This record gives sequence, C-alpha cells and structure tokens, in this order.
Amino acid sequence: MECKYKIEFEEGAAQESVTYILVSEFSLKPNVLKAEIDGDGSGKMLISLKGEEDDIVEGMEKLKSMGFKVTEFEGHITHDMDRCFSCGACVSVCPTRSIYHDKGTWIVKINTGTCIGCGSCLGACSVKAINLVI
Amino acid sequence: MVINVAKTYEEINEKIRAKKAVVYTAEEVVDLVKKKGVEKAAEEVDVVTTGTFGAMCSSGAFLNFGHADPPIRMTNILLNDVQAYGGLAAVDTYIGATQMVEAPKTGYGGAHVIEDLVAGKRIHLHAWGPGTDCYVRKNIDTYISLDDINEAYLYNPRNIYQNYGVATNTSDRTIHTYMGKLLPKMRNATYSSAGQLSPLLNDPHCDTIGIGTRIFLAGGEGYVSWQGTQFKTTVEEVNGVPVGGSRTMALIGDMKQMDAKYLRGLDITGYGTSLAIGVGVPIPILNKDVMQRCAISDEEIFAEMVDYSLPTGRTPMARYNYAQLRSGTVEYQGKKIRTSSMSSYAGARDVAETLKDWIDNGEFLLNKPCLDLPKEGKLKGLKERSE
Repeated sequence: MECKYKIEFEEGAAQESVTYILVSEFSLKPNVLKAEIDGDGSGKMLISLKGEEDDIVEGMEKLKSMGFKVTEFEGHITHDMDRCFSCGACVSVCPTRSIYHDKGTWIVKINTGTCIGCGSCLGACSVKAINLVI
Repeated sequence: MVINVAKTYEEINEKIRAKKAVVYTAEEVVDLVKKKGVEKAAEEVDVVTTGTFGAMCSSGAFLNFGHADPPIRMTNILLNDVQAYGGLAAVDTYIGATQMVEAPKTGYGGAHVIEDLVAGKRIHLHAWGPGTDCYVRKNIDTYISLDDINEAYLYNPRNIYQNYGVATNTSDRTIHTYMGKLLPKMRNATYSSAGQLSPLLNDPHCDTIGIGTRIFLAGGEGYVSWQGTQFKTTVEEVNGVPVGGSRTMALIGDMKQMDAKYLRGLDITGYGTSLAIGVGVPIPILNKDVMQRCAISDEEIFAEMVDYSLPTGRTPMARYNYAQLRSGTVEYQGKKIRTSSMSSYAGARDVAETLKDWIDNGEFLLNKPCLDLPKEGKLKGLKERSE
C-alpha cells in the first residue's frame, strides 16, 4: 500500500536520517515529496511511503517515539473538477509530470502520488481549479 | 459507380426533422473517410459537427436592465465592481470579457460576470447618471439576475480563430502570457487550436459557413453575425488549411439559453481576464469537396512556433502538426520541448458531440447563410502619426 505523511520536527529531533530508518528497519520505499527546514533547525517533510501496512504503521510509531510529529494526509493537492475545463495549460509546467491528459478522454488528471507540491501549476491555471493544502 | 453527391440545405433539414440525418463529429469522420473513401462518405453523411472550447478574449455581452422607478440614464455602470460601457441608451450596456474588476480587487472581470449571470447568480449593479429632466435619478444600487433583466446576449467580435500559433520562451526567465505560463529556455510550448475538431479548419475557405449560420454557442443556439475582426485570408496554406491565425467570426447568441458549463471566466496570470467559450459549428455535407475538407486530421494541420519573449519581430521558428503538439512533446534542434494546450480538447469534443445529439434528435436545423464571408481579407497594422 501507499500512504502519505507530513513529518514535522524540532531542532533536537533532526539528528537521525528518517528515510534511512524507514528503509533499513521497516523495508519501506519512501519518496520525499517536499522538505523544508527553517533557520531555527525545525522543519517539515512530506513523504510518500510504499510498503506493507504493518511496516508503515510501525515505522510511523518509531518516528513518533523519536519526537517527530506525524500526520497522515490524503491529498496535498486538490483538483476542483467543477472549475477545471481540462484546457491543459498546467500540464507542461509540472516538473514531475504528475498532471497529465487522459489520452482517451483528454480530461486533465493529477497523480497525487508523484506530485511534490511545488506549486508551479497554480499560476498556470486560469480558473483556480488547483489548490495546495500544505 | 461514382455518384456526384449534391445535397441541399432543404434536403438535409428534411432528414433532420425526420430524425434520419446521419451526423458525425469532425473527429469521427476522419476514420470514416479513410475507410470508405470521400465519395461514399459524402453520400452517407449529412452533417459534420465541429467544436472548440478555449479563451476568446474579444467577447462580451449586451444587457438591458429594464427601468427602475424613477428611471435613470446610466453613464457609469459597475457589475460586481467591473466597469460596463455607459455610452448606450439609458439602461443598455455592453460588458467586455477582458474588463478587470476595479482595484484593489483582482482575479475577476467581465468574463466572470458573464459566467455568473448564466450560472443564475445575482450580480451587484451599481450605476450613476447625470440626472436629467427625463431621467431624474442619479444613482441606483441593486442586484440583478439573468431572469429579471430584459435582454442579455453575447456579441463577440472575434471568436473561433482559424488556427493559431505555438508559443515558447527562449529567455532565461518565466514569462506569463495569454498563451499561459512559458518556462525559461524553451522548457515548454503552448498551443490553442482544437485542430481537427476546430470549426474553421473543417471548412477552411468558408464554403458553407457564412453570415446567418446557426451554431452552438455556450450551450444555446447562436449565429455567425459577421466576419470576425482581424479576418485575414493571406496566411500560407498546407493541406488546404492556413498554418497560423487566419479567419475569425463574430458570433451572437441569447445568454438565457446558455449553460454555464460551456463558459469559464478566466484569470490568466500576468495578462488579465478572458472568457473561454464552447462553440460548435455544423457543416452540411453538400458535396464531396466539403466532405474532403471535413476529413482533415491533426497530422495534416500545422502551426508555427514563435518566441513570446521577444517584444516584436516574432518570426516562426518551427512548424509542427497537431498530432505532434498533442503528443506532449515536440523537438526543436534536438531539444525536447513539452507542450500544453490552452483550449480544452475534451470540451471541444463535448461541444461537437452535444451538437450532434441535437441534430440527431431533430432539435437543431441548419440555417443557410444569407451572405458569404469575404473571400479576401488583409490585416493592417496601426500607424503612429503626429496628426
């Protein structure tokens, strides 16, 4: 299964490599969607995890025990299909090719699994159909 | 045996009334003509429907609010804080799609007012007048809706461009244009025509489309009212269709029949507001020549890429067909450039299919044009003179 988490940390917790722990101890395949570290050493990371359900749950428990704040989220990008008219202006500005035309219907779709939340699409959309919720 | 097909509008309309007309979309007919040949297809097909759904900046609406008691001759008019024209009779106005909301508000314009009206929303009307002996009132502040105003019709001076350019950006910074967000160093390119579904690419010399042609306009019935502004016929043709922006149409239609699904107020970053409209034009298959031209496919329609980072002198850099553009990448001097469409192909298809349904169901008859569009048109530039 694949789950997405927001992992927040204070200065003191940033001593270990989160992704290394998830890979080596829980056999998870992490994909860092976005990471921000503030000047005071605190920060947050958006991560997508692929692996067995039990391993994901245990991995997240481990991070919590180390002092990280862990929140699961569904989608960090929303796509309002009532506003979107599938023009496609956002498609070629997406660096991870997460926004694409369905080649059958030509409807614009977003793969939230690979979206890194960069926001490049936001200014390209003329009907404000895309929003980042992070 | 080759039959030289020649149908008339009357014959086609007779079939439509009887719900026996054979209707294809401009996309479906490509394969039919490949399979059966143009003669057979022309014999079989009565109407081909086209569609496009994209930004058409030169659009707007005439409105008549009706008179309040006492009445006012409006000279300054705001609709949801967007200025409408105050130089017509007392309670007539024209609201243009690209008119922006008064500062400090942003992101809203005449196009959004039009979409909101058609969506059934109430619109804030604030208007002022000089106060005259015959119109004593000096201001009014109220809310209107599409149902309670007298007339509301779109009148768009330039719509459904026959083909358009492909935009890219060779500079080192991102630029924001009416052709969308263009990334530095040609990392992307945008195009805007619906290609093989686009109305004027299926009847490139306007053999059937003329003044009075009945059309699908944003979910209602509309008409071609005149040639569009900047109508030109001088663009080079490949496979019988121009390789750049060429003919255009002025369109008219009753907003009270429209569906907001086929209208979008656009806020294009760095440019301003515009209106995306779903427009479909039916093409009567009067003979095999008309059929042949409707069979054009994306592979046969070309558009030229130009550099929008140049303020002037944008000479064509390369030529691509719409199948290449729609594939998601094109190549320029060995470099891959990602492509985006500015108009909705899904929307264009929806329009063509809806128009097809109307004709199939006998609800939409073809109107024979009362006047041909100009056979020639040249574009003039604006001269700067001291007097």
